[in-house]
Amino acid sequence: MDKKAFEIQFNWIFVLVAGATILLFFSVIVIKQKAVSETSTKATVLKSFEAIITGTSVSTDTTSIIDIPSSDIEVSCGRISLGRVSNQYQNLVLFSPALIKGNRLITHTLAFSTPYRATNLLYITSPNLRYIIIGDSNLAREINSSLPSRLKKEFYNDATQIKNQNNYKVKFAVFGDMIDFPKSLEEMPDSDVEAARFTGNSWNGIVDFYAKEKSSWQRKGSSAYIGKASLIGAVYSGKEMYDCNMENIFFRLNLVTKVYIDKTKKLAQDAASKKQFQCSQIYSSSLNHLSSIGSASKFTNENVAVVASAAKSLAEESQNAQVYSCPLIY
Amino acid sequence: MGETIAVLFVFFVLITIGFIFYVKVVKSNIEQEKDEFSQLRSVGVAQRVMFLPELQCSEDNIIKDNCIDILKIDSAQSLMKENEVYYYDLLQFSEVSISQIYPVEAKWEIYSRSLEGFKSKFVTNIPISLYNPSTRRYGFGVLAIETFSK
Repeated sequence: MDKKAFEIQFNWIFVLVAGATILLFFSVIVIKQKAVSETSTKATVLKSFEAIITGTSVSTDTTSIIDIPSSDIEVSCGRISLGRVSNQYQNLVLFSPALIKGNRLITHTLAFSTPYRATNLLYITSPNLRYIIIGDSNLAREINSSLPSRLKKEFYNDATQIKNQNNYKVKFAVFGDMIDFPKSLEEMPDSDVEAARFTGNSWNGIVDFYAKEKSSWQRKGSSAYIGKASLIGAVYSGKEMYDCNMENIFFRLNLVTKVYIDKTKKLAQDAASKKQFQCSQIYSSSLNHLSSIGSASKFTNENVAVVASAAKSLAEESQNAQVYSCPLIY
Repeated sequence: MGETIAVLFVFFVLITIGFIFYVKVVKSNIEQEKDEFSQLRSVGVAQRVMFLPELQCSEDNIIKDNCIDILKIDSAQSLMKENEVYYYDLLQFSEVSISQIYPVEAKWEIYSRSLEGFKSKFVTNIPISLYNPSTRRYGFGVLAIETFSK
């Protein structure tokens, strides 16, 4: 082979290598840019989610519908993640299904009052998730009317009329005896059908959590609820998330109670100095109820009963305070 | 051969210049986003402070907007010191203080967790009424929230 022929061949090989290098360089940039862009979109959604949490948690009794880029948001105890991007929260009170799918969020807030407001409970769900309320008690009707109207909710007296509507998840809220598993939903994956059964009144009671297992219900454990707001929390979330949120709520209740104990002591001192004996008596018994609430700082079934009973008595004392024109505690 | 190498050299020089320009644009965008995020966080902290039941006024559980209960301030102050980690999650690196202007001047430092070597500081001043349930009288003051970020 002469020198010129070799040079031409080498030139082609050189062009091939250089071309391949340039192609590889741009391919790597495109792939990296795609990954960065995806992560950035997820981070933006999470940032918006954080803004939603802040915004909605400072307003009580509100419902809003928020448009987001279509995503699968995973929510667990103190953690919200979108793929590999996640945010950790230490004391988050957020009731929601473990997976929120779609491009819309329904947010709903209620105050947790025992009887004074300790915190706001935030509920987030997807309009694609189906909620079925079953029962014929006043409590069932009350809960049905308390849930946002934009929610995909249905209210039945019994479970015979339920049909499969191809929702990604179905959640039952049963008031009264537990229903048989509906035949129409047997084809759905086990993880996509859950139920919560409530026994008690609007002040407090017990919630039993169930999950689908083939064509029947499997009991996953029970917890206590206190007030309508926490009952609604159990409608939105599973047992693990419910317990985690209730522990955070009880911790917060304990902190707020300390402030009210100090305030009541100051009011009692003031009433004593002004010789307002009726008011002094009201504050003195209110202090006992506040101490009971303060001592039940951990979320257990027993403590829920203690707090519910003390909250009832404290609400009565507050009414008495109004009757005698004493400054109110909360 | 020499020409091809020269073309490739110029091509890669142009690519490098383009890349440096792109990185600079991305960097300035990130700085802008960081700034926006800090402002958003500052507004969030201010909202949370205004809505704390530890400070807010209420009458028969009905919340009064932009009102701080004077009888709650002292215990809220000590509570926030005792549970610094818990309140850090809510208020992050910030300083929260209440100044009473009328009827008498007074100042309470509610929460203080500043950031050493902070790069930016946002100050939010909110006019508030200060209610004393014992005397049933209102005062006037300012709630100052300073948030720090690096």
